Amino acid sequence: QNILTVCFSVGYSAVALNHVIDFKEKKQEIVKPVSPSELFPSLPIVQGTSKRIKVLTRLTLVVSDPSHCNLLRSTSANIRLYDIIAVFPKTEKLFHIACTTLDVDLVCINVTEKLPFYFRRPPVNMAIDRGIYFELLYTPAIKDSTMRRYTISNAISLMQICKGKVSSQSENKPLELRGPYDVANLGLLFGLSESEAKAAVSTNCRATMLHGETRKSACGVVYTVKKPRKVEEEETAVPACKKAKTQA
Amino acid sequence: ARPNAAQFKQLVVTALRELHGEVGAALPVDVLTYEEKTLSAILRVISSGLVKLWSALTLLGFYQNRRCAFRVLQTSPFLLALSGNSRELVLD
Repeated sequence: QNILTVCFSVGYSAVALNHVIDFKEKKQEIVKPVSPSELFPSLPIVQGTSKRIKVLTRLTLVVSDPSHCNLLRSTSANIRLYDIIAVFPKTEKLFHIACTTLDVDLVCINVTEKLPFYFRRPPVNMAIDRGIYFELLYTPAIKDSTMRRYTISNAISLMQICKGKVSSQSENKPLELRGPYDVANLGLLFGLSESEAKAAVSTNCRATMLHGETRKSACGVVYTVKKPRKVEEEETAVPACKKAKTQA
Repeated sequence: ARPNAAQFKQLVVTALRELHGEVGAALPVDVLTYEEKTLSAILRVISSGLVKLWSALTLLGFYQNRRCAFRVLQTSPFLLALSGNSRELVLD
C-alpha cells in the first residue's frame, strides 16, 4: 500500500499489481487477486489531473516447461479475474510459443542475466502483429552496477529487434520506483527515439490494458468519448474566413 | 545526515561517473540553488548533456551505502518556466 501511495505521488495514472506464479514449485494454484477496493477505501486522485487512479491486477507466469502453458488454456476461473496476463519464458521454444500462440498480453524479458537465447525476428514480428508487447524490468539498473550492464545490453538488443514495442516495469520497494518521465528518458538510453520512449510509458501501456480487456471480452474493444456538440455559430464562421482569404 | 550543497554536487558528479564514466563526470553541471530542508535543487546543464544527466540521476541507487532516489520534477530550457509546473496542467 505504501508503494501505491508513492506511485500516485510521482505521477502514474494507472498501476497494475503483479502476482508472480512460478511453476517450478509443485502445486501452485492461481489465487484470486486482491481486489483494489480492499487496499484503498477511495482511490486518491492523481497529482495533476482530476481523474482517479486506476488500479489493475496482473498475473505473471514464469514458465520453464511447455506443460505449464496448459494452465492458460484450461480457463481456470481465477485467470479471468486478472486484467493483464504476462508470461516470462525461460527457453527459446517457450519464447516462440508465447509470441505465436499463447493468449497473453505481455512477454517479459529477463534482463538480469545473459539471455540463454537470442531473439529471432519471425516470432517477434508475429507477436507484434498480435498486439503483444515486450516488457523490461528497470529496477536492477538502479541496484547494482553489474546488473546495470546486463540490463542495458539486453535492453538494447531487445530494442533493435522489436522496433520499440516495449513497456517498462518496476519492482517492489518504493525507493526504487522512478517517475514516468524518468523512465521515458531511460528509453532514450536504450536506443529508442524520443517519441518511442515516451510511448513506452504511456501509449504502449494503455494498449496493453486494452488488449487485456479485449482478451476478456472475446472480440474487440472500442472506447468512445462524448464530444460536445458544435455550436451553429462556429460553422458560419468558417465560410467567412474563406471569403476573407479569397478577397485578399 | 542531510547532504549540504557541496556534497550534493559531489553526489551528482558521482552519479554521472558511475553511469557515463570520466566523460560523463566531466560534463559541466551547475547547482543553481539547493535547499537542504526539502532536499531539492535546480541544476543547469548544456542541452546536449540533458539525457546523460537525467539518466544518471534516475539510475542512482546508492550514495555512501545509503539508498536514495532522485525525482526529477521539471525540465525546461528556460529558468522562468520552472515557476509553473507544466506537469500539473489539466486537459479539459
